Amino acid sequence: MAPSRPNRRLLKKPIKIEDKLRNTEKKVEEKKESFDLTVETLPSEVINAFGNSADIKMIEGIISERNVKILFLESMVDSTSLKETTSKFLSSISPIGEYLKNIDELSAYCKGIFGGASYKIVSSKDESIHEIINGSVVIVVEHIDKALAVNIMNGEKRSVAEPTSQTVIRGPKDAFIESISTNVSLIRRRIRNKNLRFEQYTIGEDTQTTVYLGFFKGIANEAIIQEVRNRLKKIKVSAIFESGNIEELIADKTFTLFPLALNTERPDTVAANLMEGKMVILIDGTPFALIVPAVFVNFFESPEDYYQSFFLGSFLRMIRYLSFMIALLTPSIYVGVLTYHHELLPTTLLLSVIAQREGIPFPAVVEVLVMEITFEILREAGVRMPRVVGQMVSIVGALVIGQAAAEAGIISNIMIIIVSITAIANFVSPIYSFATASRLLRFLLIFFAAILGLYGVLLVLVAMVAHLAALRSFGVPYLAPIAPFIIEDQKDVFVRFPFWNMKKRPKYIRSESEQKVFSASPPSPSSMKGGNTS
Amino acid sequence: MRLKSVVIVIAIVTLLTGCWDHREISEITVVVGMAVDKGDDDKFTLTIEGINAKELSDKTASGFAPSVVFSLKGDTLAELSQKMNIGISKNLIFSHMKVLVIGESVLREGILDFIDFLERNREIRDDFNIVTARHVKAADILKVTFLVQKSSSLKLHTQLNSFVESWGGDPDIRLNDFIQAYTSAGKRGVLAALTINGDPKKGGSVDNMKKGAPDAMVVVDSMAILKKDKLLDFLPLKDTRNYLWLINKLEKTVVTVECSKNKFLGVRIFNTVTKSKGSLVKGRAIINLKIRAEAYLDSTQCKDDDLTQIKTFKKFGKLTDKQIKKDLETTIKKLQQNYEADIFGFGEILFRQDYNNFKRIEKQWDEYFKEAIVNVDVNVKIRRSGIRTKSPFSEKK
Repeated sequence: MAPSRPNRRLLKKPIKIEDKLRNTEKKVEEKKESFDLTVETLPSEVINAFGNSADIKMIEGIISERNVKILFLESMVDSTSLKETTSKFLSSISPIGEYLKNIDELSAYCKGIFGGASYKIVSSKDESIHEIINGSVVIVVEHIDKALAVNIMNGEKRSVAEPTSQTVIRGPKDAFIESISTNVSLIRRRIRNKNLRFEQYTIGEDTQTTVYLGFFKGIANEAIIQEVRNRLKKIKVSAIFESGNIEELIADKTFTLFPLALNTERPDTVAANLMEGKMVILIDGTPFALIVPAVFVNFFESPEDYYQSFFLGSFLRMIRYLSFMIALLTPSIYVGVLTYHHELLPTTLLLSVIAQREGIPFPAVVEVLVMEITFEILREAGVRMPRVVGQMVSIVGALVIGQAAAEAGIISNIMIIIVSITAIANFVSPIYSFATASRLLRFLLIFFAAILGLYGVLLVLVAMVAHLAALRSFGVPYLAPIAPFIIEDQKDVFVRFPFWNMKKRPKYIRSESEQKVFSASPPSPSSMKGGNTS
Repeated sequence: MRLKSVVIVIAIVTLLTGCWDHREISEITVVVGMAVDKGDDDKFTLTIEGINAKELSDKTASGFAPSVVFSLKGDTLAELSQKMNIGISKNLIFSHMKVLVIGESVLREGILDFIDFLERNREIRDDFNIVTARHVKAADILKVTFLVQKSSSLKLHTQLNSFVESWGGDPDIRLNDFIQAYTSAGKRGVLAALTINGDPKKGGSVDNMKKGAPDAMVVVDSMAILKKDKLLDFLPLKDTRNYLWLINKLEKTVVTVECSKNKFLGVRIFNTVTKSKGSLVKGRAIINLKIRAEAYLDSTQCKDDDLTQIKTFKKFGKLTDKQIKKDLETTIKKLQQNYEADIFGFGEILFRQDYNNFKRIEKQWDEYFKEAIVNVDVNVKIRRSGIRTKSPFSEKK
């Protein structure tokens, strides 16, 4: 493998084109001279290549007795810019006929009129097709053996809006959108530093999706960056649409319920993680970016932890760990205690539970499964359903299923409490994809609680921890910094220490430069004498 | 291959253990109380109180009996406890047992035969009160309903705990305490004794539960003292408190102290500590007990004494010391001379503090206890006088 690894995919592409070019050149050589790019042949060849697709359009014009043809995909270009561009070439004052005799003059002219906008000289059919797909207009002029591609891709994108799945009360309110260039600018605006680097990859043999790998040079660990690059390069699939696709293709292990990359739609989260030494993977066409490497404790961190007082931040973080346990364990403990360990409940509670379950026809495990699955159905319905009927589900769900079932004596009241607390606790997770772990493991736990009691619950937990300890995210142990235990990193795990105290970047990311806070004196009253301190 | 077999073995060992003790909560009856009486021909009569949980919850209660009381006769409790389905519909669980009532007649003959079952059984825990029934059958104690907790056992459990906290009227004996007292050379066991005020027959009806002044009520009557596992005698309630005081288990109490002729003080004792030292000197056991307590004045009938003066508090404190000392010494003397039963564990103090000498006389400890010199030193500090200094009636001038 050549040492110029970084852009293997990018480098490879031109090579392919050249190959093809050579082939066609050979054919052309037989017929004509060395050019396949003429105003007579190119348009028809390109249109044929697109199979006469409905949205491939051509504008013809004759300026000073020279044929000018403009080719573009109507669906990919911006109509206003199209009008402007065509007018520059086809209007009566167009200079084309006057003096643009060769490509050098054309490009000099273009430099003048397009200024910053991206344009490109193309010299083959395949190149022109590539440019047209990416939203350019390709202009061919008679007597000039190269064509001009001007990118006027349409800006069909929604504006930057508030995040929908990762909201905060205090903190930035912008979220990524589907356009990758906007997303990059949202990050770049937060980190104005030349060391913030983005590498471009084109992934998806057929979709040709743009993917950016971003990192902060000098903070992110070089070995991990290289690892991410290698994994991105290895991807050979037909289509990529969402960060979830990439996540599954580059994760260390896919047979796990726990996400090994953190997905976020918040540019501030990305920026903060970049400054910790992590990498971000942006995919064109989705507002969700991937942050790697991601460890277990990262999924309990919300950006708000750092925007609020560290007391509240720490408290909320512990609440999140607690709710993870609640979401994971409540139903199975309920089943275990009610079928095996009656002695664990205080007498009065036991008696009240017995009184409530008097006349319930199902065993506890059936009751729990029925309610949990009902809830999952309601939840899925709530997500998929058209917004207009959204309220119906909450009414039907809460009233009919909950209250009526309890009143009809099919399930007990305490079951409704269990299902609700489980559901609510499950939503506490700041990263939605992490909640799937507790959501699915719950059923396994219920099953084991039903046949083995709390002993079974413990067995599953032991297996879960063993599994977690075996996981790695891009080489970083998933349970770090808890196992392996790193004492310095504990300042930002279960609690968040004040900023002036967190001097170093987390050790488990193996950052190239550890120092984070340079002047580390805690805030203290001014030592100035006098004043109004009587 | 080896890994595979290890995994299979682990899977079998861990996964095939399940279900054997599976009991659905709707298929069980919780036993909250147990009573043991003498059987007619057989050794025991076991009575259990199984809760009807529906009646204990306000939402589901419909005014029926809160519990089922059922008796069986037989020779071992182990068999009887599993044979209860002769009459009772659901499986019984014993882990929430609150009270064990031992009949007087059984107690006279010795209770060791069934204590073993209670200790050995995997369900029964060591957190129920052991009491004895005086004058009445133990089974009847479980039948008397009550307005608040409804079930007799639940009521007794709450009642005994409250009594310990407020006044010190229950020796608070659990299974462990009994076994310790039985196995120790220097200690005798005690039990709280209960009886029924009123008609036991009427007490079992649901109507009894509806009355503010019930036809029958279970009351704490006295304290039973044991010799090994057999009943010796009953002592009045006041001795229970003195007993708790001497073994440093008293939490709070009130003592009534005469401050002048036929006028009394009510002194609420809290924060009391009893330190005990013991040794054998010239063949005689000497026990020194040092009681330090704090108190506040809860009532006074001697309104002439000026409570704004420190010396009044000191005077009252001295009077209280004297009264307590007298009470405690009476109790000790009674046990030394009438029963030769060291319920206070003085022998254990010697066992810890003068081991070599005690070891020699261990077998004859009862006689040595009779002759033991017990010095009680009481010092009560009265800290406050409630939320009032002067008596409201002394201000009329």
